[in-house]
This record gives sequence, structure tokens and C-alpha cells, in this order.
Amino acid sequence: MTQKELHNQRLVKEAQAAVLQMHTRRHFLKESAMGLGALALGSLFSSCGNKASHNPITFDPAHPLLPKLPPNVAKAKSVIYLHMAGAPSQLELFDYKPELMKMDGQDCPPSLLQGKKFAFIRGVPKMLGPQAKFAQHGQSGAYVSENMPHLATVADELSFLKAVTTDQFNHAPAQLMIHTGSPRLGRPSLGSWATYGLGTENQNLPGFVVLTSGGQNPDAGKSVWGSGFLPSVYQGVQCRSEGDPVLFIKDPNGMDRDLRKASIDAINQVNAEEYKEYQDPEILSRISQYEMAFKMQITAPEVMNINNEPQYIHDMYGTKPGKACFANNVLLARKLVEKGVRFIQLFDWGWDTHGTSADGAVDIGLINKCREIDKCITALILDLKQRGLLEETLVVWGGEFGRTPMMENREGKQNPFKGRDHHTEAFTMWMAGAGIKKGYSYGETDEIGYSAISGKVEPFDLQATILDQLGFDHEQFTFDFQGRPFRLTDTRGKVISDILA
Amino acid sequence: MLEFLGHFHPVIVHLPIGVLLVAIFLQWLSGKEKYRGVKPAIAPILLSGSIASIVACVTGYFLSISDDYDQSSVNWHMWMAIGVVLVSLVLYTKEVNPKVEVSKKFLSIGLVVLITVTGHFGGTLTHGSDYLSKPFFKMFSGDSVVNTAIKPVANVQEALVYDDVIKPILETKCYSCHNENKQKGKLRMDDIALLLKGGKHGKIIDVNNVDSSEMLQRLLLPTDNEKHMPPKEKPQPTESQVALLHWWISNNADFKKKVKDIQQPDKIKPVLLALQKPVIIKKQALNLPATAVEKGDEKIIQQLTKKGFVVLPVAQNTNYLMVTLTDAKKVIKKDIDLLGKLSNQIVSLKISNSTFENEAIGSLSKLSNLRKLNLANTNLTDKELPALNSLQHLQNLNLTGTKVSAQAILQLQKLKELKTMYLYQTSISKSDSLKLKTAFAKTEIDFGNYFVPLLPSDTTLVKQVPAK
Repeated sequence: MTQKELHNQRLVKEAQAAVLQMHTRRHFLKESAMGLGALALGSLFSSCGNKASHNPITFDPAHPLLPKLPPNVAKAKSVIYLHMAGAPSQLELFDYKPELMKMDGQDCPPSLLQGKKFAFIRGVPKMLGPQAKFAQHGQSGAYVSENMPHLATVADELSFLKAVTTDQFNHAPAQLMIHTGSPRLGRPSLGSWATYGLGTENQNLPGFVVLTSGGQNPDAGKSVWGSGFLPSVYQGVQCRSEGDPVLFIKDPNGMDRDLRKASIDAINQVNAEEYKEYQDPEILSRISQYEMAFKMQITAPEVMNINNEPQYIHDMYGTKPGKACFANNVLLARKLVEKGVRFIQLFDWGWDTHGTSADGAVDIGLINKCREIDKCITALILDLKQRGLLEETLVVWGGEFGRTPMMENREGKQNPFKGRDHHTEAFTMWMAGAGIKKGYSYGETDEIGYSAISGKVEPFDLQATILDQLGFDHEQFTFDFQGRPFRLTDTRGKVISDILA
Repeated sequence: MLEFLGHFHPVIVHLPIGVLLVAIFLQWLSGKEKYRGVKPAIAPILLSGSIASIVACVTGYFLSISDDYDQSSVNWHMWMAIGVVLVSLVLYTKEVNPKVEVSKKFLSIGLVVLITVTGHFGGTLTHGSDYLSKPFFKMFSGDSVVNTAIKPVANVQEALVYDDVIKPILETKCYSCHNENKQKGKLRMDDIALLLKGGKHGKIIDVNNVDSSEMLQRLLLPTDNEKHMPPKEKPQPTESQVALLHWWISNNADFKKKVKDIQQPDKIKPVLLALQKPVIIKKQALNLPATAVEKGDEKIIQQLTKKGFVVLPVAQNTNYLMVTLTDAKKVIKKDIDLLGKLSNQIVSLKISNSTFENEAIGSLSKLSNLRKLNLANTNLTDKELPALNSLQHLQNLNLTGTKVSAQAILQLQKLKELKTMYLYQTSISKSDSLKLKTAFAKTEIDFGNYFVPLLPSDTTLVKQVPAK
């Protein structure tokens, strides 16, 4: 080592010592005062911005479907939501408008067309009187048309909402609006919110089951029962009503139950390792879904099989065993409610009566559609009632919008059959069961059924009411996503307290 | 047009704040050896910040003349903002021409102070004067959630109609836009004289013509109407609050009287009474006991859960429990005895589609607090049924699908509170069902066996328009 190198080394050492001398304890405290202050401030903030109290629902990714208690005393334990996809005509079913009959065949007054937009009506359409006879039924004197002779006998069990409105005049967005509270994709559906908030009592079955009929899924596709930004375990599970309820539910030849168990255990173990590494809660959901699928292999075929129901029940519902039809689904819905499934959503396609074909005519196809649902829905209400289930099950019936009092003139030309266009300003829905008034009618439309006069109900109000019956305050029931709490009812929604018992 | 430009003010103001602060930060940074290179950037940033602040001032002026704000706050805000413009311009001149004799440091600190003060006045104008301080003080008072709910009144009849009933509604729903600092529509509501004076369109309270009072009209318009008050995105008053306002105005909109001195139509009585309760008590499906109960033993709940029972409180903030068990192959006496240890808490029990072991059902008699019992599709027989007689509070009993006979059910007449009974698919004949109905006059009995007839139309298809 040369003299110069030694000298340099000494200089460096000296400098380092000087630096160390600067850093006495006093220096440390002085310099870190800012940091300590920040720490103190942080602890102050954490005590005031505590959000835990704001959102009391705890999500346990390992057991996402465990039953949870609702914030308020719930009147409904389960919901059966019957959606007539395509939008049934309120003017041929429940909203009796004799004045409209008088206008039948006349040109539509311009006041009804100014500034309005319709899906297919162009120019000046003709008015179309009710294409069914109406009569009052039950002690409540509710108007039900001849198209629903069975349902008319249980009119005293129902609460009609006569003035439901929406702001979407196309099927898919309107269906999304009703079920997810937004006309665009990406929001969780009503059933997902319900299972997220309440879990399900039966751990061997999904909490949210969807059954479709009419040969087609609803226009909005599976998003109407999607889970949106909620954990995916809460999305609706679509079951088939013909053949196996879930595809590939049976073990394939050569694979016995033990082997199946062993393979699912192995998969779960791999997933558990994966979770340890990435901590993604969706992996835990996946594990629990595998476990449920395994249990469902035993329970689902039994529950989803209507053949072991007695004959008189089949007669009551008018089922067609072995075929896919709405009546079978309705009977299944009752069985699922009995087993503790939280939310059952039925979609029946084929209610879009434009008058472009006989099937879509309000005086032909609509009658046939009514015959498919009339007997079984009536049976459902009575069957739930006699089993003591109606008092804890909320039944909701409706479409995504209504139909115009005008006859549709597609592209300005006359349609081959009598039909009605999509209409957003007034349509009828009904609710029955848990906590709902019996034999009641809420809301009123004008004398031709064009718009709501009183008791206007938005999809948000409907959702608020359903959540209320399940024990939730829709304004408090939120999920934090993208940095803010989201609500099913967004910033709107009023519980329709008039129809609550 | 001016108003339109004015509405850009809230967007543009943040630009000079950010830009000028960046400039000052860079100026400080450029003093360090390592960051000397940033120096050339300071002048252009200062200039753009000055220009942005000028634009913000101009749009701000437009906003102030098109909307109604408290004049003195606006003045402060405006002059401070002009100060920001001037100081930033001087700072810019100094930056491009170092010969100018001013202290850079002094100017920079001054600018930061000016920006802060201007910003604070701006915030006061839009959010109200206690926007910043309220949550700050809340922090120390230990109340983590800012509580906007109206506090209950101890005795509503003795309360002052304006101070205790009406004012709290206005306070929570109206004051945020109609106050000392901000008078939307030239209306100020936190001062009685000014409230009576009204706003841009004149009086808002008309005691002679209650229904055309502008305040009520605005409240009752549909929420999506532009003129609806409060605006759609703000918290809305409840129906009963609107009813209270209507009642108050139709009774001369008095500011001094007590509630008891004012006429009270039947409609308003329950609404007034509801003010005494902290929360609106909802009608409950289960008629829960009026008194609260201590928490059920967590260990017993866990044991039950292990055995497949679903044990849950009926709702949050109550310790009463509902218990469910379905599809159990064998329910043994021990299980039911476990339930018995929670007899104070359990108000609803459902054991359905299950098989009880001998004597197990008898132990149900300990669950003396039960309101609702569902034993549908179990092996319950006449022998065990009398055990249920000790469930004095039972309101709802479901025996669907059990082998009980009318004779045994007649013995349940000690259950005075029984409101509903489901007896579908039991061993009860039609003639017996009449007997039961008369014996249980106060109870609604559902024997089921409903029938939906087969109509010819049910199985036929319509191919063409049916003949009328």
C-alpha cells in the first residue's frame, strides 16, 4: 500500500466517523421527528376513517356461502322470481282499459307520439283495443283477463303493481336494468346480492339457481344472473330442467365416487398451494366450488328430479315430465325453496308479441304463452301456501317492460297480426307471499294505459322492496369496488311500503 | 354564455394550484447540487401556472356573478386569487430576469400561503364553512361516522314545532345549499326572516295557499325533474318528513309554538310519535319478545353447528336465534337437549324432512320462548304432540306431512297465542277439519289440498284468432 493510498483510506475513515458523529441519538430523534409525526398522524386517521362499521357483511372466501344473518328481521327467506322474457302485454292481462277499446282502430293522437321513441313503431300507428275480456276477481276485485283463468282464482293472494316504469326500451338493457340496476353489463344481479348478503342454508346446493324455458335464454344472456364485481361464487347457477340438471353431473364410466373424491382433493390441494403463493381470494372460492360440485353430485339429481313427486302434484302444476317446460321449472322452484335455496330465478322466453307472426300475436301466441304459465303459477302459489312456505317466500312476476296501447306498424307498414311494440312508461307486475299485502293493487295508469298516473314504480324501487323483504336496507347494503361502495339501487330506490303487509 | 364559462371554474382552479406548487418545489429543488438541471424548467412552468390562474380568475368571476354566494367570502376569495396571479407573475419575472430585486424565497413562501388561503375560501364557498372543521373535530370526539340522522325527541308533544321538528329536517336536507355562505336560487333558509322572505321566485312558504307553496311543490316534483328539491343526487327527505313540512305550513308555519298547541289531524299523529323513537321499528314477521336477551352460549352454538344445525340471530343487534335443520337422518334427544340450553334465545325452530329418535321430540317442550315451530315431514305422532303444549308463546306451527290426528291437535288449545297452523297432509279427515276450525277460532288453519282444475283450454293451442 502506497503512502497515498493509506492517506486516502484515512480520509475516508475520517469522513465516515464524522458522519457517524453527526448521527447522535439527538440527531436521530431530531431528524425522525417528521417521520414520527407522520406515524402519529396515521394512527389518528386510522381511528377516524374506520370503514368496518359501514359495511357489516363479512366475506369469508373459504366459506362464501355460509348462512349469514340479515341486518333487519327478514320476512322472506327465499325469493322465486318469475321473469317473462320478451315482456308480456299488460293490456291483455291485468291492466283493463275499456276506454282504449273505444279508440280501437283510430289513428294514435299526436300527443302520445311527440318526442317519444319506440323500438319499431314509425309514423302514426293505429290504437289497439284490449284483445281479451276482463272480469273482476276475488274480494279485492282485481281485474284479470280471460287469458289467466286459474290465476284469477288466487287474485286475492297477490299485490299488483300497475304502474311499473323503466327507461330502457330494448330487451337486453331492460332485463339488465330490472335484475342488476344498470342497463349496461358488469353489475351483480339481485340474486347475487342476496346470496352475497345472506349465504344459503343448504350447503349442498347453490344459493342462487336459474332455470330457463321457452327454448331460449333471455336476450341479455347470462349477465342477468351474473355476479358482476361480487365474488364469482355468487353468480346464478343455471340448471337444466331436462335430462341431467347440470351437465356431466354423473361420474363417467369407470370412475367411482372415491376416485372422484381423491381427484377433487388433489385439485384442491394444488389450488391451496396456489392460494398460499398469490393470496387471491377467488382461489378459495374455487376450492369451495369444487367441494360444492362434489356434494351436488348427490343432492342435485335428487332435488332436481320432479318424477318422485306424487301424481296429484303433477296434475296440479300441469307438468310435462321429461320435457323442458316452464311448468316443470315452477315445480322445481318449489322443491328448491323447500330445500333452503335462497334465490330462484325462472326465465320464460317467448313473450315478445309484436304481431309479426301468429306466435307473436296478442290474440294468438300470447294466449298460448298464458296457458303455459297460468296453471302452474297458480299451483305454485297454492302449493307454497299449503306447505307454510308462502309466508317466507317472496314470489315476483313480471317482464322487463310493457307493451304499447298502439298496434305496432313495423317500418310504418301494417303487421300481418295484431301486436304491440315495446313500452317503457307503464306495465304491470305482481308480488305475493312473504310480507306482501294480499289482494292489493298499487299504482294507476291513465285511461288508455299509456303512462303512470300514480304509484309509479321504478326497477330500483322493486329491487329496494325485494331487498327489504330479505332483511336489508338497500341504502346500507353495499360492496366496495374500484374505491367506492356500490349499491344495487345505485342512488335511487324507495321501498314500496304501500304493498307491504 | 358567461354562466356556462363560469361553470368551468371548478375544473380549472386545480390547474394553477398544482402547476404553481410544482414550480415552487422545483425552485427549491434546483438549489440542490444534484438537481441543478431542472432550473430551465421553472420559468415556463411558472408562466403556465400564472396563465392558468388568470383563466381561473376570469371563470371564477363569471361564476360569482351567475350564482348566489355570500358576497364577503367571494370577495376574499377573489382578491386572494388576484394576489396569486400577481405574485406568480413577479416570481416569473424574477426567474427570467434575475436582476429584479426581490427575494425569491420570500415570494415563494408568500405564494404558497396565498394559494392555500384562496383554496380554503373556495372550499368554504362550495362545501360550507364547517366542511373541513367538522370531520376534524369528529376525529377527537370518538364518533367515527359523521351522523346525519335526526336525533329523537324525548316527548314530541312538549317539543317546539320549529326548533325540534321542522328545523332538523331543513338542517339535514336544505341548509347545505341555502346557508350563510351559499344561497342557491338567492334563498337562505337558516335564518327565519330570510326563510320567510324566500328566493329568486319570491316566497317559498304560503300559509294561505299551502299546496302552492313553492317549497312543497319542489319537494313533491318527481326526482328526475330539474326543479325538484333537494337535487336528485343529494339526500332526499322521507315521506314522513314531507308530511311534517306540509302539516307545519298548513298550520300557519309557526316558529314558536309547542307541538301540542297545534292542531293534529289523525294522519300526522303517528308521524309525530315516530319522532320519539330513535329508529323506525319495522313490523316484524316474528313477534319477538319485547325484552332483550343475553347472548346465547357460543360453545353450544358451535356444537349445534357441527351437527348440521344452522343457528343464526334473527337480525343484527338482537340475540334471539332461529335454528334450522333439514334432511337429518336421526335427530337424537341430546341434540334437542342442546337446543334446550338456548331456550331463552331460540324463537324460531325448523326441523323438517327429518326423523326424530324416540323421546327426542318430548325435549322440545323446554324451548319455552318459541314463536315459530316447523316440524314438517317428520315422524311426529299423536303421542309426542302434547309436549308442545308447554310452548306458551307459539304463534306459528307447521305440522305438514306428519301423522297427527285431529284428536291430538285439539289438545293444543292451551296455546293461546297460536295464530297460524299448517296441517296439510296429516291424518285429519274433512269432517274433523271443521271441528278444528271451530275449536281454534282465533287460529288460521291451512289444511291444504288445494286443487287447480284442468280446463279444456289448458291443454289446447290457439292457432288463429278465437271467435268472439
